Amino acid sequence: MPSMDKETNTLRNDEDVLLRVEHLCQYFKVGHGKYTKAVDDVSFDIKKGEVFGLVGESGCGKTTTGRSIIKIYDITSGSIYFKGTRICAGTGSYLNAIKQAKAETASEIAKIRKSGDPSAAERIAALKAGLKKTVAENRAEIEKARFDHKKSDKVYAESLVKKCDEKYKALIAAASDEEEKKKLGKEWRSERRIASKTRLITKIQMIFQDPIASLNPRMTVREIISEGMVINGIRDKEYIDEKVYGILNTVGLVPEHAGRYPHEFSGGQRQRIGIARSVVMEPDLIIADEPVSALDVSIQAQVINLLNDLRRQMGLTIMFIAHDLSVVKYFSDRIGVMYYGKMVELAEADELFAHPMHPYTRSLLSAIPLPDPHYEKNHRRITYNPLKDHDYSSSKPTMREIGNGHFVLCDDAEEKKYRAEFGID
Amino acid sequence: MNYSENILEVKNLKISFRTSSGTVKAVRDISFNLERGKTLAIVGESGSGKSVTSKAILGIQAGNSITEGGEIIYDGRDLLKIDEEEIHAIRGDKISMIFQDPLSSLDPIVKIGPQITEAMLLKNKAKRKNGRIDFNTKLALVKEKMTAAMPEKAAEISVMCKTFDDFNIHGNRMAVSYNEARVKAEEILGDISDYLFMVEKKAKVGTKEMLKKTAEALKASKDPFFSKGETAEISSVIAELTSVSDRDDAAAAVIISKSKALFEKLLSNDVPDFFGIGYYDMKSTDRNYDGMTIAEINEKASEFLNKDFLDSFRSYLSVACEYAFLESVEGKKKAIDALAEGEAYFAGENEIDKKQSAELEKKMSAAVSASLDRLEIHKDSLAYTFPSSVKNATDRYFEWKVKNPREEKRFERQTEKREKLIAKGKQVDWKVLPKTVFDLDMLRGDIVGVISGLKKKYSADIENKGSYDSGRSADEIIAFLREKAHDVVYKVTKKMAKEKAIRLMDEVGIPDSRIRFNQYPFEFSGGMRQRIVIAIALSANPDILICDEPTTALDVTIQAQILELINKLKETRHLSCIFITHDLGVVANMADDIAVMYAGKIVEYGTADDIFYDPRHPYTWALLSSMPDLDTSEKLESIPGTPPNMIYPPVGDAFAARNKYAMEIDFEAQPPMFEISPTHRAATWLLHPDAPKVTPPKIITDRIARMKEKGDAVNG
Repeated sequence: MPSMDKETNTLRNDEDVLLRVEHLCQYFKVGHGKYTKAVDDVSFDIKKGEVFGLVGESGCGKTTTGRSIIKIYDITSGSIYFKGTRICAGTGSYLNAIKQAKAETASEIAKIRKSGDPSAAERIAALKAGLKKTVAENRAEIEKARFDHKKSDKVYAESLVKKCDEKYKALIAAASDEEEKKKLGKEWRSERRIASKTRLITKIQMIFQDPIASLNPRMTVREIISEGMVINGIRDKEYIDEKVYGILNTVGLVPEHAGRYPHEFSGGQRQRIGIARSVVMEPDLIIADEPVSALDVSIQAQVINLLNDLRRQMGLTIMFIAHDLSVVKYFSDRIGVMYYGKMVELAEADELFAHPMHPYTRSLLSAIPLPDPHYEKNHRRITYNPLKDHDYSSSKPTMREIGNGHFVLCDDAEEKKYRAEFGID
Repeated sequence: MNYSENILEVKNLKISFRTSSGTVKAVRDISFNLERGKTLAIVGESGSGKSVTSKAILGIQAGNSITEGGEIIYDGRDLLKIDEEEIHAIRGDKISMIFQDPLSSLDPIVKIGPQITEAMLLKNKAKRKNGRIDFNTKLALVKEKMTAAMPEKAAEISVMCKTFDDFNIHGNRMAVSYNEARVKAEEILGDISDYLFMVEKKAKVGTKEMLKKTAEALKASKDPFFSKGETAEISSVIAELTSVSDRDDAAAAVIISKSKALFEKLLSNDVPDFFGIGYYDMKSTDRNYDGMTIAEINEKASEFLNKDFLDSFRSYLSVACEYAFLESVEGKKKAIDALAEGEAYFAGENEIDKKQSAELEKKMSAAVSASLDRLEIHKDSLAYTFPSSVKNATDRYFEWKVKNPREEKRFERQTEKREKLIAKGKQVDWKVLPKTVFDLDMLRGDIVGVISGLKKKYSADIENKGSYDSGRSADEIIAFLREKAHDVVYKVTKKMAKEKAIRLMDEVGIPDSRIRFNQYPFEFSGGMRQRIVIAIALSANPDILICDEPTTALDVTIQAQILELINKLKETRHLSCIFITHDLGVVANMADDIAVMYAGKIVEYGTADDIFYDPRHPYTWALLSSMPDLDTSEKLESIPGTPPNMIYPPVGDAFAARNKYAMEIDFEAQPPMFEISPTHRAATWLLHPDAPKVTPPKIITDRIARMKEKGDAVNG
C-alpha cells in the first residue's frame, strides 16, 4: 500500500510491489504562470500479478497518471519506483521547499530586526546557516532526482552489460579450443549490444484507447509489432518473424495477417494488434488506457477475455484505466477512484463496491446502468457536489486507511464517520 | 382519440447500399411500431443496420443508398414516397434526431446561439403559409360536403362559410397587432435581462438608452388587449422611468427591474381568444371592453359566438360529417367488393397477368380512394397508403418474376463453367456467387396480405358504424380550423428566438445560459455539448425523437445525467422516442419495447421485461452475456467471429455461423418470427416445436435468477 512515511526516503523492501507511485504531481502550464493540476499528489502501489483499475470521469487525470508512469511527460514532483528502481522523479516539491524555507527565514529575520533584540545578529546568522543547510539538502535531492529521471535507464543498461561481460569472460576463459572461443565472442558481441540498448522502461508497455489512431497506417502489422524489438537491437530476422507469428497466434490472429496494413482490420482486430505490440516486448507491467471503450459490446468481451488469458499465461501485471465501472469491477483486483486529479478512494474491488465510502464513489456507482429494467426504473442517482458534501475549511483531507486496505481521502471528522459506518472504531 | 395508437409504423423496410464491390444489404425486411408516448430501443452491434433505419425515417440516407421496398408510415403518409418538399415539413419539425457524436453534429465555427435558433427562425414564414393553405382547403372541403348534404340550404351554407372566413380574418388581424405587442415586450424583456445581467457584473452599460427604450416599449404596449387592466400601473412606471437620473446605474436598475416585472406580468396574462373576439368585434353592435379582464372578454365573446353563429355551424357541420361518413361507408362497401375481386385473383392458383393485375390494382385503388372520408382529421393510415402499398407489392412481384429465372440461369452457367475448369484440372480461384432468388408465392402472399388487411379493416368499420359520433367529428374539425387559424399569425423574431433558446437551454440544464448562448461549441464539455444537441432537437417541439447512441461518447456520470434528462423531457413534452444503442444497460433504463437487430433483421422483439428476463434468441443471449455486470465473476461469453459480409447475406439464419446453438436448418433456411407471447417474438429455429430444448448460457440464467430475487426483495 502507499507508503506514507515521508521521513525515510528509502524504499521499503516489499518483494511483491512492482510499481510504486509516490506523491505524483503532474501540472501543466496554461500561461500567465497558471497551472492545471492534472494529477495532484497521487500515491499507490501495484503488486506483482494483480490488475489495478483506475476509474473516474473523463478529465480527472487517469490517463495522465498512466502516461506519467511511462515517462511520456516529465513529472512535476513525486517519484515512481519500478522493480525497486526510481525511474521517474520530479523536482517540484524540492523547489517549493527551498522557496518556502527562504520566505520563512526572510520573514523571521525581519521580525527579529524589528524586535530590536540585542542578540539579533547571532540569531540571524543561525537562521541563515539553517537556511543554507536546507537549501543544500534540497539541491542535492534535486540533483539526485534529475539523475534518476534521466539516467536510471542507462545505469540499468550498464549493469546488464557488466553482467554480460562477466558471464562471457568466464566462459571464454573456460573454453578450450579456438573455434569455440570465436563462436562465444560472436555471441558475446550481439548480447552485449542488446544489453546496452535495453531500457528498464520497455518493461512497461501501454495499450492505447483508440485502435485506429494508435497504429501507423503506413506500416505493416509485422513492422508495427517488431518495431520495439528492432529498436532494442535485435537483428535476427528469423527470430523476429518467429516472435511476431507467435504473438499473433497468442492474441487470436493468424500469421498471414503479418503482411497486412492496419486499415484492413476491424476494430477488435486492430485492438488485438495494439495488444500484440505491447505484449511482444515481454513487459512486466501493461498500462491499458481504456482499451475497450471504443469497441462494440461483443468485441469488448473478446478483448477483455484476451487480456485475462494473457495475464494468466504470461503473469502480467496490468494497470487498467477505464470509465466503465462494470468492466473495471469484473477485471480488476484493486480499484482506485480519481476525482479532479486526486485519488479519493482505493480498495479491493469487491470491498469498494460493497462499502463505497467517499461520496464521489457512491455517486459514480449509482450511475452504472444495469441490464435490469425493474431495478433501473426504481433507482435514484446520487449526485456529488464537493462543496456541499465536504467541509474542509478547517482541516485538509489526506489519504487514510479505514481498515482492511481500504483508503479514503478524508479529514478527521469524516474518518470517524467512515469508521463508524465500517464498524471499526 | 385513442392514445395507445401507433405514431410511427415501419413495414417491411429494405435498404441497401451500392458500393464498388457489390450491393450491401444493410436493412433486410424489418417491421416495427412506435406507440405514442413510448420508447422503442433498437439494439445491435455496429453494422447491424440500426442507424440506417433511423436515418431512413428522417429521410437522410446516403447518396448511394437504395430503398428496395417497404413503408414508413407517419400521419397517414408514407415517408419513403413523399417528395423532399413534404419531408422538409416533417424532418426536424415532427421528427427530430439526437446524433451520436455531439462535437461533429455541431458547426464548429458558429456560436451555439444561432445554431439553436436557426430552426425556429426558418420555420417562421413556412408555418404561417402552411397554416393558411390548410385552413382554406379544409374550409372549402367542409363547404362542399355541407352543400352536398343539404342542397336546399346551399345559399345559407355559402354565407355561413364566408362569415367563418371573414371573422376569422378579422380576428387574425387583431391577433397580429396583439402579437406584435407581445413580440416587442418579449424583445425588450430580453434586453432588460441582458442589461440587468451587465449591471450585476458591474460592466459598462448604456443606462440612458435603456431607460428610453423601456419607456418607449411600455408606451407602445398600450394595445387594448395586451395591457388590459394594467393601464394605470404602466403610466406610473413610465413616469418613474423618465424621472430617474441616467447617471445612477443602481437606481435605474431598480426601476428597470420593476418594469421587467410589469412586462412579465403582462406576458403571463390570459391570452385573448381571437377566434371568439374576432366574431364579437365584427358582429356585435354594443361592443365595449372597458373594465373587463381578458378572461371575461373571452367568455363573453365565445358565448356570443356560440349563440350567434357557432352552434348552428356545428349542427350543420355534424350533418355534413354524418353525410360524409355514410358516403364513405357506401364507398367502403363498394371497395370491399373491388378488394374481394382483387384478393380472389391474386390468391388464386392462376398465373398473374401483368396487364390484368395493373387494371385490378387501378380499380381497387380508385375504389379505396373514393371510400376515404376526407373530412376526418385522424387519417386511417392503412387506407390512405393502400394505393402505394399495393403498387409496391405488385411491382416487387413482377420484378422478381423477371429476375428469378435470370439469376437461376446465371448460377447454372457459372457452376457449369467452374465445374468444367475443375474437370480440366485448372486452378479456379473464384467462387460462384450464391443465387438470390425470391419465393414468388411469398411475394404473392404479400400482395394478398395488403388487400385482405384493408378488407378486414373495412368490414370491421362497417360493422361498427353505429358507434360513429358525428358531433365529436364536428368538434375535431372546428378545433383543427382554429389551430390552423392560429398558425397564420405565428411569428418569431430573432430576439424572441433568443429568449426561447435561453429558456430551452435552462430546460436541458445548461447553467449560465445567457453567457453560454454566445460561446462556440469547443468551449463546452462533452456532456454540455450533448445537451445543446438535445436543445436543438427539441427547438421545434417534435412528436418523435430519435436518439442515435446519444451517450456512447460520454462517460458514466454524464451518461446517467443525459439519460435522466431525456427521460424527463419525454414525460414533460409527451415525446415518443426511438433509442438506438449497443449498451443493454442503458436500454434497461429507457425502453418500453426493445428490438434486437442483427445483420439487418430484427431477431427478437418484445417489451423490456421480455428481453431482459426471458430472452429467447441466441444473439440476445450473446449480447447479454458479453457484458459484465457488478456480480459477474465467471469468464465472459464473447461472440466469436465477426458479423457476416452483407454483400452476400447468408441463406439461413445470419447469426448461425457465430452461434454455438446453431442447427443444420439454421444454415439452410431463414427462421420465421415465432410468437412467444402477444408482446414477444423471436426469429430462431430453437422455438420451433421440433427443435431440441436448450437452456440459455449459465451466466444469463444466474443473472436473471439474481434479478428476480432482488425484485422479490423489493416488492416483498
